[in-house]
Amino acid sequence: MSKRSYKFALSLLFLACMAQEPLFAARIGELTETDWKIQVIRFLSFRDPSVRYALAGSILLGISCGLLGSFIVVRKMALVGDALSHAVLPGVALGFLWNTTKDPVAIFIGATVAGLLGTTVVNLITQTTRLKEDTALGMVLAGFFSVGICLVTMIQHLPTGNKSGIDKFLFGQAAALGPNDIQLMGIVTLLAITVITLFYKEFLVSSFDSGFAHSIRIPVQLFHHLLMLLLAFAVVISLQAVGVVLVSAMLITPAAAAYLLTDRMHRMVFLASIFGLLSGVFGAFFSFLGPSLPTGPFMVLGASLVFTLCFFFAPKHGLVTRWWVKRSRSQQIQVENVLKAIYHVLEDRGFDGEGVSIRELADQRKQTLEESVRESKMLKRAEYATLLEEGNMIWLTPEGWQRAREMVRNHRLWELYLTSAAQYSADHVHDDAEKIEHILGDEVVRALEKRLDYATTDPHGKKIPSSESIQKDRMGRREKVPGYGQDI
Amino acid sequence: MNTEKEPVPLEVHDLTVAYQKKAVLWGIDLVVPKGKLIGIVGPNGAGKSTLIKTIMGIIPASSGWVKIFGEEKNLRRVGYVPQRESVDWDFPVSVMDVVLMGRYGKLGLFKRPGKADVDIARQCLDKVKMLPYANRQISNLSGGQQQRVFLARALAQESDLYFMDEPFSGVDASTEAAIITLLHDLKEKGKTLMVVHHDLPTARNYFDMLLLLNMRVVAFGPTDEVFNYELLQKTYGGRLTILAEVAEAVRQKS
Amino acid sequence: MVEPWSADAFQNNLWIFLMGFLVATACGLVGNYLILRRMSLIGDAISHSILPGIAIAFLVSGSRGTVPMFAGALLAGVATTVIIEVIHKKSRIKQDSAIGIAFTTLFAIGVILISLYASKIDLDQECVLYGEIGFVGLHPPVQLWGMNLGPLPVFRMAVVTVITAAAIMLFYKELLVSSFDPGLAFTLGINATVVHYCLMGWLSTVVVNAFESVGAVLVIAMLILPGAIASMLTLQLPRILMLTVVIAAMSSFFGIHLATWLNCSTAAAMVVVASGLFILAWLFSPTSGLVFKKLRHRSDSVPEFPETATDVLNPQPGK
Repeated sequence: MSKRSYKFALSLLFLACMAQEPLFAARIGELTETDWKIQVIRFLSFRDPSVRYALAGSILLGISCGLLGSFIVVRKMALVGDALSHAVLPGVALGFLWNTTKDPVAIFIGATVAGLLGTTVVNLITQTTRLKEDTALGMVLAGFFSVGICLVTMIQHLPTGNKSGIDKFLFGQAAALGPNDIQLMGIVTLLAITVITLFYKEFLVSSFDSGFAHSIRIPVQLFHHLLMLLLAFAVVISLQAVGVVLVSAMLITPAAAAYLLTDRMHRMVFLASIFGLLSGVFGAFFSFLGPSLPTGPFMVLGASLVFTLCFFFAPKHGLVTRWWVKRSRSQQIQVENVLKAIYHVLEDRGFDGEGVSIRELADQRKQTLEESVRESKMLKRAEYATLLEEGNMIWLTPEGWQRAREMVRNHRLWELYLTSAAQYSADHVHDDAEKIEHILGDEVVRALEKRLDYATTDPHGKKIPSSESIQKDRMGRREKVPGYGQDI
Repeated sequence: MNTEKEPVPLEVHDLTVAYQKKAVLWGIDLVVPKGKLIGIVGPNGAGKSTLIKTIMGIIPASSGWVKIFGEEKNLRRVGYVPQRESVDWDFPVSVMDVVLMGRYGKLGLFKRPGKADVDIARQCLDKVKMLPYANRQISNLSGGQQQRVFLARALAQESDLYFMDEPFSGVDASTEAAIITLLHDLKEKGKTLMVVHHDLPTARNYFDMLLLLNMRVVAFGPTDEVFNYELLQKTYGGRLTILAEVAEAVRQKS
Repeated sequence: MVEPWSADAFQNNLWIFLMGFLVATACGLVGNYLILRRMSLIGDAISHSILPGIAIAFLVSGSRGTVPMFAGALLAGVATTVIIEVIHKKSRIKQDSAIGIAFTTLFAIGVILISLYASKIDLDQECVLYGEIGFVGLHPPVQLWGMNLGPLPVFRMAVVTVITAAAIMLFYKELLVSSFDPGLAFTLGINATVVHYCLMGWLSTVVVNAFESVGAVLVIAMLILPGAIASMLTLQLPRILMLTVVIAAMSSFFGIHLATWLNCSTAAAMVVVASGLFILAWLFSPTSGLVFKKLRHRSDSVPEFPETATDVLNPQPGK
C-alpha cells in the first residue's frame, strides 16, 4: 500500500511543479545547436522548460504504461495493445484538423474514440464472422492505421498551417510537449493509479480466473471495458512522446521485465511503473542530444535494455541465474559422488588408514589421474578434504567424512527401501539411488530409517552408516584435523 | 415461529444453451435437494461444464431459468471450483493470494482483506494441508497441490451450494482421498455439492446422487437407482448420442 | 474531377497500379497461409523487424542493391524468429509478449539507425511507415534483350509474385496439410518444420520487396486483408486464392483514384479501399454477410434441433 502512495505523491509533485511554468517552451526542432555535449549539459541542468516538460511527460507516461501494461501482459493481450495503439491514428489526425493550433484535448478525444472504436470493431468481427481474433486485430490495426496515414499525408499536403507537429506523432518527440499536454498526462496518470488502487482486487481476480470472478458476482465485462478505457487513455497521452508505432512497446516491455523479477502481482505493477519511468527518461534524454532524433525508439531501446538485463540476470527467473544455479548444483552432486567414492575405497580396505591416494580414487571412479586430481581440488575448495604429499593423498576433514557417510547412508537406505518396501529387484536399484541420495532431506531419512526398522545392512550386504553415529560425530568434533573419529 | 420451508438449493427449468445455432444443452430440468453430494457424469462434449457455468451465469442461456435458494441471479451463497486448466499458473500470485480471493465475495467493492480474512484463509489452507506452502508462487506446485489450493479457496467462500468442475482429474491418489473426505465433511455440515466428474467407476462410490447428462438430462436420482447399464448406455451409448439415435429411428419409420 | 488516367499521369500511374497489384497479390497469397495457421501476429512482427536488416544492409554495402537488401531482410527475419523463441521458451514470458518485445525492439533499432545515419541511408522515417510507391515509376528500367521491361522495383516484384504463385501451385498439398494438420503431414512424409521455415523465409522476401513501396505497417494490411475478404465470400481454398488476386487488383486500382482525389499517400489509400471492400463483404456476403443473415433468419435465437426427435421423446414435465 505504501508503494502505491509513493506513486501518488510522485505524480502530484510533478503536476505541482509544472503548474507554475510559463507557457512558452522552446521546440527542439528550432534549435540551431547540434553539439551533443552542450545538449547533455542543457538537459541535466533542468533550466530549459522544454527539458522539464519532456522529463515530466516521460515520467508520467512511463508510469501509466507500466501500470496498465502489467495487466496486458498477464492477460496475454499484447496484440490488443498493439492494435489499439495503431488504431488511434485517424483520431489524432482528425484532432489536428479540428483546430488551427495543436489542441491536446481535441486530439485526446479523437484518439480515444478511434481506439475504442477499433476494439469494438474487433469484437464485432470475431463475433459475427469465422475470422479468428488475431486476424481481426491485424486487420483493424492496419486498416485504421492506413486511414490515419491517409489523413496525415492529406494534412501534410494542405496549404494551411498546423501540419507541423503531426509527423511528430509517428515516432514521438518528447521535446514537443507543452504544459497543456503535461496537465492532461498528469490527470490520466492519476486516474489510472486511482482506479487500479481502488479496484485492485477486482482487476486481480478477473485477470487470474474470470470464471471464478463471475461466480463471486464481479462484473468481469465491466472491468474489462474499464481496463480498455484506461489503456486507451494511456496510449493517447503517450502518443506525442513515443509515437503511434512504438507505444505498444511501452505497454509490454517494462511490464514483461517486471514479470521476470517478482512472483507477486502488486510488486510487478510497481516495478513495471518504475521501469516505464526509467525508459521514458532514458528516451527523452537521448533524443534530446540530436536535432531530429525521435524519442520513441530511444524509450523502447531503454525498456528493452532493462528487459534484457532482467531476462538474463533476474534473481529467480533469469537465464544466467538459472544456469548458474544448475551448474553449482551439478558441481555439488559431483563433489558428493567423489566423497562416496572415497568412503568406498576406505571401506574396502576395512577403514585401515585414513589417506586415500589419487590413484585409488581414479581406480574407484574409473577415470584418469588428471580427472581425479581435479576432483580432489574440488573437495579441497569445499573444505571436505585436505591434500597431503604434494596433492597425492586425500585426507577427509570431519565435515567431509560426515557428508560422505550421509551420502552412503542415503544411497543404501534408498536401495533397501526399494527392494523391501517397493519390491524392486536388487540389480535395478542402484541408478535410482544414485539420483535420490543427493536430495533426501533429514526428515525423509528419519522416516525411512523408522520404516525399515533401523536396518543395518543394504541389499548388497554392505553396512548402512546409522544417523545416530553421524549425529554423535557431528556434535563431538571441533578440531579441523584430518581423520575420522572412532566409531563408524 | 418460522414454519416456512427453506427453498431448495437449486431449481432449473427448461434450460437451453446454444452456441452458434447448435444446441449444447437442451431443456434441462432439475430440482436439487439440500445436503447431497451429486456427481455430474456424461461423455465429452455432453455439456457438463457448460451446465454449471450456465447455472452460475458465466455463460448466457438461450431460454429457461435458474433459481438458487429460491431466487434468480442469486450467487451469494454459491462457491465455485473451476477446472485447473482454466487458469494460467504462471500468474504472479502466491497460494495465500489465491485463497484470499475466496473472501472477496464477502468484502464488497472497496474493502481489502483484513486480519480475520487472512486467518480464515490460513484455516482453510490447513484443512487441505497446504499451509506450509502459503507463500509459494502457484506454478511451483504439483497438480494435486494446485487442486487443493482451489479447494481451500472454495472453503474460504463459506458457501452453501458448491459447483466443482472435475476436481479429481489429474491428481494423485492421496489428494483424491483427501478431497473426497473434505467433500463428505461439507455434506455433513449441510452443504450441497454438485461435482462434474470424469471417471465412471469412482462416481458410483463417491456420490449420493448422479446426474447423467448428454445434452439433456438422461437421469437424475440416487446413485443406486441411476447407475445401471441401461441408463449408462443411453448416456454414453456407442458413437451416436441418444437424440441422434432416436432421430434416426424416426426417419427410418417414415 | 479525378483523372488519374489522363495522358500525362498515365504512364506513371500504370506502374503504380502494377506495383500495388503485385505487392497486394504476393502478400495476399502468402498471407492466406498466415491466416490459416493463425500467425497473423508473426506477419506483423516480421514486417516491422526487417527494418534494421535493411538499414544495416545499406550501411554495410552502401547501396540499395537487391542482394544486400535481401540478405539483410533474411537475417533480420531469422533473428526475429530466434529472439521470439528464446524469450518465450526460456522464460515464463508468453508468446504474444515475446513477439511484441522482439519486433518493437528491432524496429526501434532500425529507426535509430536511419535517424543517426540519415546521410548514408536513403530512407526517411515516414517512408519506412508507408512507403513511396508514387516514385516507383521513376526508377531506371530493367533492360533485357533490348526490351524495356519496366522499372526495377516493379520487375523485381513481378518476379517475386510469379514465384509465389508458382510455389503455391507446386506445393499446394504440402502447404495445405501442414497448415491444417501437422501430425498428418508428418505421416505423409511432409516435414512441417521445414515448411514453416520456408514460409517464414519467403514471407521475409516478399515483405522486403513490398517494403519500399508500401512501408512496414501497410504490408500487414496487404498480408491479411485480401485473404480475409476472400474467406468471407467462399470457403474453398482455390477460390480464396483466386479471389485474393482479384481483390488485390481492385484495391490497387481504386486506391490510385482515392489517392488522387484526397491527395494522400497512395499505399494508404489502397489499404483504405481494401478495408472498404472488407466492410462490403462483411455486410453483403451472400454466404455470411450480416445483411443477408438478418433477412434470412427472423427467429435467429432458436437453435437447431431435430423436431421429430422432440416429439418422440415426449419430455416429462419438471423432472
